[in-house]
Amino acid sequence: MKRDRNDLVEIIILGVLGSLVVLTLAAPQLLQVRRSPPLLSLSILLRDTDSSGWTVARQGMEQAADELGAELRFLTLTVQNDSEEQTAILFREIDGGADALVVVPAGPDDLTLALSQRPDHCPVVTLESSVEGAAGIVAPTDEEVGRRLALALLEDWTGGPVLLLDPLPQTGIGARAEGARAALEERGVPVRQAAALPQDRPEERWVMAFEPLATQQAAERKEAEELGFALYGVGSGAAITAQLERGNISALAAWSDYAAGYLAVRQAVEAAMRADRQDPGPLAFSIVRGEDIYAPENQKLLFPIMSSSGR
Amino acid sequence: MTFFRDLTAQWGERYRRMSIQMVLSLSFTAVAAVGILLMGISLIWRFSSASEQLVAENSQRVLAQANLNLDSYLRRMMRIADTVYYQVLKDTDLAQEGIAGPLSLLHEENRDDLVSLAVFDSRGALVSAAPLSAMKTSAAPARSDWFQSAVQSMENLHFSTPHVQDIFDDPDSPYRWVVSLSHHVELTRDGVTEGGVLLVDMSFSGIEQVCRGVTLGEGGYLYLIDGDGELIYHPRQQLIYAGLLEENNRAAAGYRDGSHRERFQGQARQVTVKTVGYTGWKLVGVAPAASWLTASPQLFLFGLSLLFFAIFLMAFLNFRISARIADPIRRLEQSIKELESGREDVEIEEGGCYEVQHLSRSVRSMVSTMRHLMDDIIHQESQKRRSELEVLQSQINPHFLYNTLDSVIWMTESGQQDEAIQMVTSLARFFRISLSKGKSIIPLTDELDHAKHYMNIQQIRFKNRFTSRIQTGADTEGLYTLKLIVQPILENAIYHGMANAEDDGLIQVSAYREGDALIVDVADNGLGMRPEVAASLLDEDRPEVRTSGSGIGVRNVHQRIRLTFGAGYGLTILSEPDEGTLVRIRLPALTREEAARCQEGEVL
Repeated sequence: MKRDRNDLVEIIILGVLGSLVVLTLAAPQLLQVRRSPPLLSLSILLRDTDSSGWTVARQGMEQAADELGAELRFLTLTVQNDSEEQTAILFREIDGGADALVVVPAGPDDLTLALSQRPDHCPVVTLESSVEGAAGIVAPTDEEVGRRLALALLEDWTGGPVLLLDPLPQTGIGARAEGARAALEERGVPVRQAAALPQDRPEERWVMAFEPLATQQAAERKEAEELGFALYGVGSGAAITAQLERGNISALAAWSDYAAGYLAVRQAVEAAMRADRQDPGPLAFSIVRGEDIYAPENQKLLFPIMSSSGR
Repeated sequence: MTFFRDLTAQWGERYRRMSIQMVLSLSFTAVAAVGILLMGISLIWRFSSASEQLVAENSQRVLAQANLNLDSYLRRMMRIADTVYYQVLKDTDLAQEGIAGPLSLLHEENRDDLVSLAVFDSRGALVSAAPLSAMKTSAAPARSDWFQSAVQSMENLHFSTPHVQDIFDDPDSPYRWVVSLSHHVELTRDGVTEGGVLLVDMSFSGIEQVCRGVTLGEGGYLYLIDGDGELIYHPRQQLIYAGLLEENNRAAAGYRDGSHRERFQGQARQVTVKTVGYTGWKLVGVAPAASWLTASPQLFLFGLSLLFFAIFLMAFLNFRISARIADPIRRLEQSIKELESGREDVEIEEGGCYEVQHLSRSVRSMVSTMRHLMDDIIHQESQKRRSELEVLQSQINPHFLYNTLDSVIWMTESGQQDEAIQMVTSLARFFRISLSKGKSIIPLTDELDHAKHYMNIQQIRFKNRFTSRIQTGADTEGLYTLKLIVQPILENAIYHGMANAEDDGLIQVSAYREGDALIVDVADNGLGMRPEVAASLLDEDRPEVRTSGSGIGVRNVHQRIRLTFGAGYGLTILSEPDEGTLVRIRLPALTREEAARCQEGEVL
């Protein structure tokens, strides 16, 4: 009886040790399989007709894609801010098996509707504007951007109404305009809102734009037509920064497009892999005036190093 | 404390219940496993140290090469600065001729690496520049760090950290990252020498190219800082600038050249530092600890596999060796157990090592001694029993002899010569069979003959008040019986059963076989007795009563039969008042051979 029990204990011990030997011999193969997950396919849907305005953001996206194992497809619209076309492309990409999407919404409401029609859609992360049903958003707090920019204007304000350029009222850009309007009206500053600068010379001496393209176009027109208004805008591209340096823009709300692109892709990959999400929070931004453009921190913010390194 | 005491007690209890083989196996295996594990840990530690050393050497080698490349690049820039200074500025009176041409030529020759070449006077006014000559209206070179450094320390060349070129208005590429080399120079104007600053803006991409291609194994990278720890190049520089990543560059600025261990953001890593000559910049190579600890998980797992295999082999060997040691002890224990259970033909094997063999021999010797002692005891017991039998058999009442002889005298005196002769003859025959050459087992025929002579004597003495009849079955022929067992029964029948008989008394003896048993019935038609009295006659606790017969009572016979043949044999008395008594003697049906063996003392 005791002999049988001894034999059983010995067989169990030898069995466990033998299993451990086999397991440790087989583990490298298992690790090898786990180590090389397939590349994720991510589609980037812009609301512009080309991606030239997203060069820096694209670098950040590619950096994140390189680190996290994803391949990117950049898709633009044939017509600027055409939400219908963007919805069609969105459906096509979902049907095409994209693992996740990063979208700069042309129309947040239309995108919300589109996502509600496809409950089985892959994770969608938005830039600029929040969309219901999206897995995440990467943007600064829009109302705060508008408010801080308005405060910068108020530092210079000597009287007269302020023209707010809001080409996309229902988007995050519209929220920025609303933030600015609230701050200005709180101080009793008269405000007028328009989609774009009027064709003839604007009456207002103070103009605020809340979108990089609108800011750049307003600055270029001011320079070209020697218009006398003070312009406050958003953006961080080279063209906008040059306008800021030349004094065509009085103050700029700027944030790192590189960081925005990086975080958008990182969130999309994490959502696609159902990994633990790191909520990055709203993007940090700064109000930069022309004279501060070469301050070390502003240099890093406004002039991203166009590195072609692989990391 | 109580916990440890309980644990110790628990283990002690388990140890007591364990077999010797299990104790040997487990303790050997545990010690071997601990030894192998310690050896494995030691090897891993040594391997890890060697790997770390290897990584450090590799990092130092790579950094040395990167340093060479960077140094070469910077020296090239310094040569350009020297060329501008010694071959252009030194020989030129700026009041008479410009230096734009030579500067443009130099820039053109090094356009891949240079963004701009410029010379400023001591107030920061532009003297000449290439390829651009138009300064931004907002530019204030004299307030720049590179200008201040050159003015403050005239002997040295100064290298700035990367910054955006902010002096010249470049419509094509307005904002380029550069690293500025500045140097205090002497400018000659109308024969008068004055101070100035030479600026060589190196393209940041040139430094990036030198550093970018450097790899430091899996997960490792290289970055470049100035003496204060300010980043010059980092492979993830833009992430750091965007605040999405942090680097331990400030701490690295304090490290001396060589390899160091540090922990940054919870990650252990090896940092190798190499100072770039002249500039005070530092190349920093970072290798995560994981790169040498788990850089090869396959190797680690293979080592682990070898470790487990070694323990497996050790365990297997231990089990076999302990079994070889313990098996003879276990067999010895089994033999002793069998001995304890009463088996006599147990073979005690002498196997195993010397001590076990010695123990086996001792046990075997002890068992042998024990057996001899037991045989002696049995023999002594047998002798004792035989003595008791003999004592019992010799308990013939002398009164019987006296009464018989008295009857013979009386018959002789009264002239009954024939009866006297018959009586004496029967008495002689009676005693001859009683003696039977000392044997206790005699043929049944002799025993019945003995009974017949006894009855003859008693019939004469009691004047034929009763008759007797002896019958034997044919199947009893050749059987043997214990001697002197029928006569005492007959004596009881005469003295107690026939006491009141006139001449109608009958005593009948019948011998027959019943299976393996021999039955001898002695029946009389005398007074009889109550069944409970009959049953009490054989009770050993009943006080012994001497009779007036031959002296050998019924209980005596019963005891003798049981002593000789066991409890399965003996007497049974059946009686009813006024109807008579039947005494049944149950014996084994002994053949001649069996009787001989029994006579020799063997237990049947």
